[in-house]
Parts: sequence; C-alpha cells; structure tokens
Amino acid sequence: MSSSDTPTDDASGAETTPDTETASTGTPLLAVEDIHSYYGESHILEGVSLEVEEGEVVALIGRNGVGKTTTLRSILQLTPPREGRVRYRGTDLVGMGTSDVAQGGIGWIPEDRRVFSALTVAENVRIAVPKGSDVDAALAQVYETFPALEERKAAEAGALSGGQQQMLAIARGLVGENDLLLVDEPSEGLAPQIVADVAEAISAASEAATVLLVEQNLPLALDLADRFYVLDNGTVVASGDTDDVSAEDDDLRRYLTA
Amino acid sequence: MALALYPGFYTLAVNSPAGAEFVTVLPRVETMIVVLYFGLFAMSFDFISGYTGYLSFGHAVFFGTGAYTVILAANGKLPLVPTDTPFVLLLVLAGLLAVLLAVAIGSVSFRLSGVYFAMITLGFSQVIYVFVRDWDYVGSNPRDGVSVSFDTHPEAFEVGVPFVDALGLGLGKLNGDELALGVVDLSTVEVSYYLVGLVVLVCYFAMQRIIHSPFGKVMLAIRENEERARAVGYDTDRYKLVAFAVSAFFAAVAGGLFAGYSRAVSPDETFFFLVTGDALLVSIIGGFGTLAGPLFGTLFDELFREFLSKEGTGGGLLPYLQSHLPQGVLEAVIYNGMTVGEAVDTFLNGHASLFLGVLFVLFVLFVPGGLLGTVRGRLGGTASKQVAARLRSAGTNETSGGAASEDD
Amino acid sequence: MSVLASAGAFASTATLAPLQLGDLFTVEALSSILLDGLSKAALYALIAMGLTLIFGLMGVLNFAHGSLTMLGAYLGGLVMVTLVTTTTGPFARLAVFFVGLVVVFGLLSALGGALEVGLIRPLYDRPPVYQILLTFGITLVIDELVRIVVLFYGLQPITEWQAALGTKPEFLSGSFTLGPVSVAGMDLFEILLGALAVGAVWAFLTRTRYGLVVRAGSEDAEMTEALGIDVRRVFTTVFALGAGLAGVAGMLLMWDGNWGASVPLATETLLPAFVVVIIGGLGTFRGTVVAALVVGLADALTQWLFVNVVDFPSLPEMTVFLILVVMLVIRPQGIFGRAEVGGH
Repeated sequence: MSSSDTPTDDASGAETTPDTETASTGTPLLAVEDIHSYYGESHILEGVSLEVEEGEVVALIGRNGVGKTTTLRSILQLTPPREGRVRYRGTDLVGMGTSDVAQGGIGWIPEDRRVFSALTVAENVRIAVPKGSDVDAALAQVYETFPALEERKAAEAGALSGGQQQMLAIARGLVGENDLLLVDEPSEGLAPQIVADVAEAISAASEAATVLLVEQNLPLALDLADRFYVLDNGTVVASGDTDDVSAEDDDLRRYLTA
Repeated sequence: MALALYPGFYTLAVNSPAGAEFVTVLPRVETMIVVLYFGLFAMSFDFISGYTGYLSFGHAVFFGTGAYTVILAANGKLPLVPTDTPFVLLLVLAGLLAVLLAVAIGSVSFRLSGVYFAMITLGFSQVIYVFVRDWDYVGSNPRDGVSVSFDTHPEAFEVGVPFVDALGLGLGKLNGDELALGVVDLSTVEVSYYLVGLVVLVCYFAMQRIIHSPFGKVMLAIRENEERARAVGYDTDRYKLVAFAVSAFFAAVAGGLFAGYSRAVSPDETFFFLVTGDALLVSIIGGFGTLAGPLFGTLFDELFREFLSKEGTGGGLLPYLQSHLPQGVLEAVIYNGMTVGEAVDTFLNGHASLFLGVLFVLFVLFVPGGLLGTVRGRLGGTASKQVAARLRSAGTNETSGGAASEDD
Repeated sequence: MSVLASAGAFASTATLAPLQLGDLFTVEALSSILLDGLSKAALYALIAMGLTLIFGLMGVLNFAHGSLTMLGAYLGGLVMVTLVTTTTGPFARLAVFFVGLVVVFGLLSALGGALEVGLIRPLYDRPPVYQILLTFGITLVIDELVRIVVLFYGLQPITEWQAALGTKPEFLSGSFTLGPVSVAGMDLFEILLGALAVGAVWAFLTRTRYGLVVRAGSEDAEMTEALGIDVRRVFTTVFALGAGLAGVAGMLLMWDGNWGASVPLATETLLPAFVVVIIGGLGTFRGTVVAALVVGLADALTQWLFVNVVDFPSLPEMTVFLILVVMLVIRPQGIFGRAEVGGH
C-alpha cells in the first residue's frame, strides 16, 4: 500500500458530516464519527472514524490491542463512546441500549464465539430469532446452510468443536434478520481447512447483509472485503480498496506485526 | 482525644441547667463502653474487609473466641491456664488463639474471593457457633451463655501491668474499682470506661501503624487490583492471610474486653453471624475502609438505639417527651384510640433497627464512603487515595475499588 | 430454630427407648429418615430456588431472601386466619391455602420487582459486595417493620404464629400408616408441593422462550443483550419471580409446626438457603435441586442419629454447615457449577 495512492490518509478524521444530515440516499449504512472510548480510565479509541456502505464487506485490520474489538463494542453500545457519534441509517446510536441497537438490525459475531455453552445448538439459534419470526423456518435455513449443526442440534453448544461453534455463532447472526453484521476474528484459533469453511460462510452471509469484519488473517481479510481500514493506537491510520493492495504489501504488513 | 474527657463531660452536662436535654441525647457512660469494645471489633472487621476487599462474613467467630477464652480461663476450664492469669495476658492469649484459628480458616478460604469468600467464612463461623451453643463443657446451659464464676474468679478483671497489683485497676460495673484522684472521683463505670478505652486506643494505634506501613499499602493494592499486585511481585496470598490473622487478633481482644467487662457471654452475642452483621452496619455508616470510621459508626448506632430504647434508661425520646410536652399532647388521640405517647412507644421505641436499616440502605446507595470517608473526601485525599490513583494510572484494567478509597 | 424444634418433636416420641446405630438399618428407620429427608429437601429447594435464579442471572446474592420468605409466611397466615373459621371444612381450608399461595406470590413478586427497580438496579455497576450490603440493609428494614406490625396486633414475634398454624386441616396434622411405614401428612404435603414448584420452575426454564432467555442471560448477559433482548427488564422479572417463590416457601412454612410464621424465620431460612445454593453451584437450578436433596437427607439422617444415638442437639445443623465448608474446600464451584466461577 503506497500511502499516496488510492488509500486516503484518514488521520484527519474523515469528512465530518454536518449534524443536519438526515437519512437519505447516499447516506452510508454505518458512519462512525470520531469516537473516543474508554475502559475505566484507559483511553482505547482516540477518534475513530469509518463508513460502511450498504452491501459492502469492510475489513478492519490492525495489531492486537489497537482497538478493533472496542470499535465493534462501541458501535453496539456495549462500550458506549464518551465522545463522537455512531450513525446507523443516519440515526445516532450513542446513548441507546445495546438491545435496541441489536433490534435495529445490527448483529454481532463476537471474538471467542460466545455461544451459550449450556444451551443446546437448537436453543442457541432459537434465542437469536427475533420475537414474532418463524423459528422453525429459521432453524431449517440454518440446518440447510450448516448440515453439521443439524447433526448436533440437541447437543450442548459447549460440547461443539471450535469450528462448529464458529458456525453456530455465524448462524445466530444470520437468523437475527440483521442488515449489518459485526464479525470479530472469525478465523482465530481454527485449523486452515476449517478457516476455508468459515470464509465461505461469511461470504454467504455477506449476500444477505452488510459486513464489518475484524480479521488479523490479512489474506483472508483482503479476500473477503471490498474495502479496508487500518487501525493503530486507537485511530484509523489508513484505508482503501482491497483491490489496490496485496497481502504481501510491506506498508500494510507493518501495521500488523509488532 | 475528645473521648478521653467524655465521662467528665457527661457528668457536667447532665447536671447542667439543660440536663434533661443532655440525658435525652447523650449516651450514658455504660453505653460508651459498649461503643469502645464493639467499635474495636468493627475496626478489626473493617481492617480485613474494608482494606483488602475480602468480606469476612464470619468475623464473629474471632470475637467469640476472645470472649470465651477469657470466661473459660477465669472458670478454670482452659487447660494449663490458671484462673488468676492476669487479664491483659488473657487478652493476648485470646488474640493468639484467634490468630491460629484465622490461619486455619484463612488458608482454606483465601483460595476463594468475592461472594464465595464471604460465604465460606460465614460457613466456618456458623459451624463453630452451632457447636459452642451445644457444648456443655463451657457451662450447664451453653445455649443461654456462661458467666464468670465468683468461686474461681471472685475479683474483677484488671487492666494494668501483669502481676503488679498496684499498677492495675479492675473492670466491671459491680466489682470494678473506683478511683479518687485529687478532686476527681471516678465511679466503677467511669474507671471501666478508661480501662477499656486504653486497650482500644492501643489496638487502634497498632492497626493504624500497620495500615500506614508498606504492608498496609499492599493490602490496599489487593483491594484495588489483586492481579496487578501479584504481577508486581507481591505474594498476595501471604499478605491476605497475615492481614486476616491481624484482624482476628484484634477482634478477639474486643471479645475479651466484652467478656471482662460484662463477666457473662452467650453464643448469640458473640459467635452468631448477626454480630458480624452489626459490625458491617456500623462500618458502612462510619466509613468502610476507614479505620476510625467503624468506631464512629458504632457510636452513632448505640446512641441512636439508646435514644429509642424501650426502657428509656439513660434518657431517650419518650421520657423526654413525657416530661416536656403537656399531658394533653401526649394523650391526644391520633387514630382509633391510640395516643401520641402510645404511638411513640409502639412505632419508635425499641425499633431503632428500622431507622438504622433505612439509613444503612441510603448510605450504601448514596454515601458509600460513610460518614468519615465523606468528610475526608471533602477535605482532600489521603495516602490510600494516592495509592489507588497510582494503581489506576499504572495500567489499563478497570479498578474495582470504586467507592471506598479512603484511609483511616 | 427450625432444625432444633423438629429435633425436639422427634425426641419426645423417641427418646423413651434409646436405640443403637444398628437400628438404623430397619425398614422403619430408613423409611422415616427418607420421608423426613425428602420433606426437608422439598422445603430447602423451595426456599433456595428463588435465590439461585436471582444469583444465576444477575450475580446478586440476595440477603433479603429470608426476610421475603418470612413476609410470605405472615401474609399467608393473614389470608388463612382471615378466611378460615372453626367451621371451615378440611378441603375448603386446602382451597383457601392455594388461593393464599396465589395472593402471596403476587404480592411478593410485586415487592421484589419494586426492590429491583428502585434499589438494586443502581448498584449493578459496583463491586458485588455492595449488593450484599444493600440486600442486608433491606433485611433489617423488613424484619423490623414486620416486628412492629406483629407487636401492634398483639402477636408474639419470636415464637411461631399459632393461630395460623391452627388453620391447617386435620388430615395434614396426622399421619398415615402403610404397613411398617408411617407417613406424616404434612411431610407428604411438603414433598408434593415442593415437587410441584420444582417442576413448574423447571418447565418455565426449559419450555418457554422467557426461560430460554433467563438461561442465556445467566451464562452471558452481554451476548444476550447483543441479540436484541433487553436483559435488564428480564432482571426485574426474575427478581420478582424469585421473591414470589420465597413467599410461596414462607406460606408453606407457616403451616409447618417446626417452623411457623415468626420474625426469626428470616434468618432461619436464609442460612440453609445459602448453604443449598452454594453446594449446588451458585446459580445453577439443577445443582440447587440436587443440593436440596443432599442437605435434606443429611439433615434427616443426623437428626435420627441425634435422637437415637448421639446426644448433641445441634448435630444436624452443624452437619449442614460442615457440608458447606467441605464443599467449598474441595469443589468451590459446587456440584453443577462451572469451574471458572470460583473467583466471583
């Protein structure tokens, strides 16, 4: 990635949109505007800005501890930003409850899967289906996409393999009828063969929803995503189209190694 | 210290023109003795619970150990301990026994934290409470308690230099010593007040020294963030165990003072878990994690209970109203034949717990620093606050101390 | 004290002919221990269920649980004493009891919900010790309020409420004989009601969507929230449900001569409830039910030993706390608890 090329240097904090802007065509599905988030007294996000257009797959890359997961948590209001805005379809999410954010159509496929280990596979899916929607249809759809889950449907989710748990987490995101999926490190800790399956599942998911993907596996991230942002020390340091860079790009790799 | 002059002040105040008002609001000297020894127990509870953050919900077991050590020794039921062992030595012995017990309980319990630590210490203390309640070795009716026999130990328990009778004074309302020093005549109760106060003062300064020592800083570090304290290289398990043993020692001394003054104890007022509950209550009101706070909390608690006492001894609300309000007001019927006087007697007197409970809830919600902590907070931080601040800035993790970050 | 009171009841019938340990292995002894143990287990399960649901979901160890049980006992007693007269037939009394059960459950649930919203909610962000402190404070207030009211109506707050006990239908006071086995009516009633309550809560947890949400929220509240479920609202419901269950337990204890409605019932039930909940593994419903069985049977066995073999009245009570201590030493997470919860 040559930083003078297509990637825009984003340290300036993107084009700050005026407050008067309302939902209309041309409004990005998600616009994170200069957010600052903390854990206790620790300043984790120091002004992150990014945009995700409807239908896109956008990758968020960077080293461990630079704030990628916190960015997702801040969007979901699990770690509410102290400053800045998170606009979803033009509406500011900051100050809303996480459950309201989720009901607005944002799904989370978190790091470490976080399946409910004491619940069965079927129950894990069931609980993710929005109230009033057809649970059986959702289950049937999941089993069609992930036949392995049907075989284990009565098993406790804690007994599944890592790959199966990841599939279940993705399935949970899919049946939630979400427009935007926040996917955190889906390939982490999985064998290469399983990673390919997961990649396929995410790519299938991206047909139905917009995806913001946090991923350390650079080739995978570039393969799945249309655009990318690079996060370092709590701020966006670079961004661009994935077509314009390669996984061997030294400038890009610089941000991923310690 | 203002407390040193209290008995004299009380005598003066009660005999002053405003005597009736003073009798109403001031605690009697007897009550102040309770404040002192129970305050010491509450301080020892706070020493471990407030400073390290490990809620010792079975702390009453050490108070009970102290109390029963004194009584059993005086009754000749403690092997190898003669009945005429000087009281001061008994207090030390009681403290050491409690230390042993604390090491035994602590070495198992400190593998747990949070709610689990509170529960396992509660479990241990209840096992011992239930045992003592039925242990007929201590006396013929262990459930109702046991008192010091006048056959084996006729004289009062003396606070002073062991084995030198001239340098000791007896505790107790009935058979304690009186003292005439020039123009000052002190009654047995007043002498007891000073003797108990002396021991409590020594214990207070000892605990305060520890809190302000490097050891105390580690205790605070454990409360603020145990993992980091361990990462920095402190053997936190050992620190916790020693702190627990120290607090047990002083809890036992408090129990011993109680037994020495009252000459009679029962399982329900020593080993029972609600005794710990009382210490918790006064610690919160006075200031959790402030060494002197629990003493002030105890003072407040006892004062309030006496003010609303059923008997009306030592003043209180109803006797005051009776002597100062016109009879018509007291006998005015408010509802269904109930007079004002009866209403006070029914709903207020003897029910101080209700108002203390409400106050306690309000303190937990809105004044988590307690009386003393809040005053201190207004006046500016102390050593522990600086430690806490340093710990916070040293790393990234969230601190868990939150509210109670004041020093003694 | 409950355990001791029942020990006394036992003693009066049995100490006349002291037995030996070998007599334990007779049909009479074993069946009476089993029935006594099951009825105790039913009571322990009832008083501990609400506590475990609340801790499981929101991590609050509710010290006010015993006071809510005590309140339930008095309110239940009030319903009975008001509606039952000397001429009320035994089955009508039973019907009134179930009406009272519904009333008590409703009132206590409302109180529990109000407590959660008004007092406990502001404390979720503080260290867990503060929730212990707060609920401990609530206990002081409830106990003293009840004491004032009870005294006001000329009742004795320390000993059990006899008038309420007197509303029990006769067939529950007596016992039935089946061959060598004698079954106390009240024991049977407690076992039935306990099983019913356990079954109802079990069905709620496993068969309803709300129960699914409670189980998910107990494991990972944040993830549940991120699936679009308002977990805080579920907290309120579960706290209300837990308080309601405490009330139901109190209503039953009001009829049990070994317990009865009294102010000290609050601490008498709180401590065994803690023991059962911790032995089972804080917050696991299945563990609590199993632990109630273990503790109930151990209680009944040691009770029998005290009456017949060992002269130490507090043996059962001590055994109960010893089980707690031993359990925490060897397996702090409890029978069905997950290993990682040992920390908090």
